[in-house]
Amino acid sequence: MTPIEQIIFLLKAVPVTLAISLLSFLFGLGLGILLAFMRIFESAPLRYLSDSYEKFFRSVPVLAVMLLLYFGVGPFIPIFKDPFFTSVFSLGIVSGANQSQIFRSAIGSVGRTQMLAAISIGLTRFKALRYVILPQALFLAVPGLGSEIALLIKDSAYSFIIGVIELMKHTDILRASQRSLILPYVSSAIIYVVMTFPVATFLDKWGSRKKKELGL
Amino acid sequence: MNKILECRNLTKIYGKVVAVNNVSIGIGKGETKVIFGPSGSGKSTLLRCLGLLEKPSSGSIYFNGLDVYATRQDLNKLRARIGFVFQDPSLFRHLTALGNIMLGLKHVIGLSESEAWRKAYEALRLVKMEDWANYYPAQLSGGQQQRVGIARAIAMDPEVVLFDEPTAALDVELKWEVIAVMKDLADRGTTMLVATHELRFAKEVADEMIFMDQGQIIEIGSPEHFFTSPNTERAKKFMAKILG
Repeated sequence: MTPIEQIIFLLKAVPVTLAISLLSFLFGLGLGILLAFMRIFESAPLRYLSDSYEKFFRSVPVLAVMLLLYFGVGPFIPIFKDPFFTSVFSLGIVSGANQSQIFRSAIGSVGRTQMLAAISIGLTRFKALRYVILPQALFLAVPGLGSEIALLIKDSAYSFIIGVIELMKHTDILRASQRSLILPYVSSAIIYVVMTFPVATFLDKWGSRKKKELGL
Repeated sequence: MNKILECRNLTKIYGKVVAVNNVSIGIGKGETKVIFGPSGSGKSTLLRCLGLLEKPSSGSIYFNGLDVYATRQDLNKLRARIGFVFQDPSLFRHLTALGNIMLGLKHVIGLSESEAWRKAYEALRLVKMEDWANYYPAQLSGGQQQRVGIARAIAMDPEVVLFDEPTAALDVELKWEVIAVMKDLADRGTTMLVATHELRFAKEVADEMIFMDQGQIIEIGSPEHFFTSPNTERAKKFMAKILG
């Protein structure tokens, strides 16, 4: 393979890498918002559950989760025999813990007076969260979510270990077949940078601009 | 006289601080009452309790004669019928002026988008902010924000509107536009309970003035009474200080 062919071969794996990252991000987003809400409501068991979840999954390597689910749970629950599903799921549940923390601090900085104002017009606590607090928290969370997407794109590389055919796997295939280390690894590294850097930078800038515009 | 909103023997304690101490006041339909007194006298806390935003430590609050807490009323429903204007206008920062007003109309009262729009626009016109309907709070001056805050409260057609020092955070030039709006509301017969240091406003529109200090009501009387011959030494001193 010529170098160009090798790079094209690497690029062909990009959609799978992006699919894993995006799906696990969305899964983590839903989970993160849910966990953050559980922390706000005045129910001790919910708060405790959310707190423990966050502490646990922020301390465990995503690779350990992935391997445990694939090799440990897969034989019993067939869906975890699917490497693509298992990697999205693993990245998602770990990301949920990170995103919960991002939302928690964003919700915290929206401030108590906004909640009071929302309550004062007769909104229920849930509607106040839904229509007043969460939309503002989303803006505040955007820069943090940008870093989280970047992290997920990088961490999606772990899924090659359980057999997902994504960018890292293609890199490994080249290493083995072309007997060359420099070109595949450097090219693949550059592709990762190109995927992560613009997203994180754009969302960081956009979020900061919105924050300033709205006076959040 | 039938009171719309009333508190009896209301006390609010934060830790060891008695913010409001055994206060009983009420406001009837169409009345405008002004609460005044030094900072930390408990005005804000009293208003927040009356607005059902804080639960009193003891005492009762009556809304249209119904003991709110004893009869376990749905507080959200009642809050929708009690307007509240904050010192810091506390507009929803992610929504335009119009959006701020429409939120409650849609999600509390349940109006459709177009009905809510019409009613919100009408409220903005009352406070002369219709030209700013699509501006975000951060793009408005403090006085303009406060007028939107007032519009947000009155658009819900509340039976009473509570004002928590609505002009205290504003520069002198901006105060007047807000006071003008409040006078206009009082003239239209809006039931209003206003905590403020603006004694000239009180003189012009208040049916009754309530002087508070250290969590207690010290003296109640007409504006004329306070401006000519208040009974208590504390009220005299305070009036002199404010009027310079």
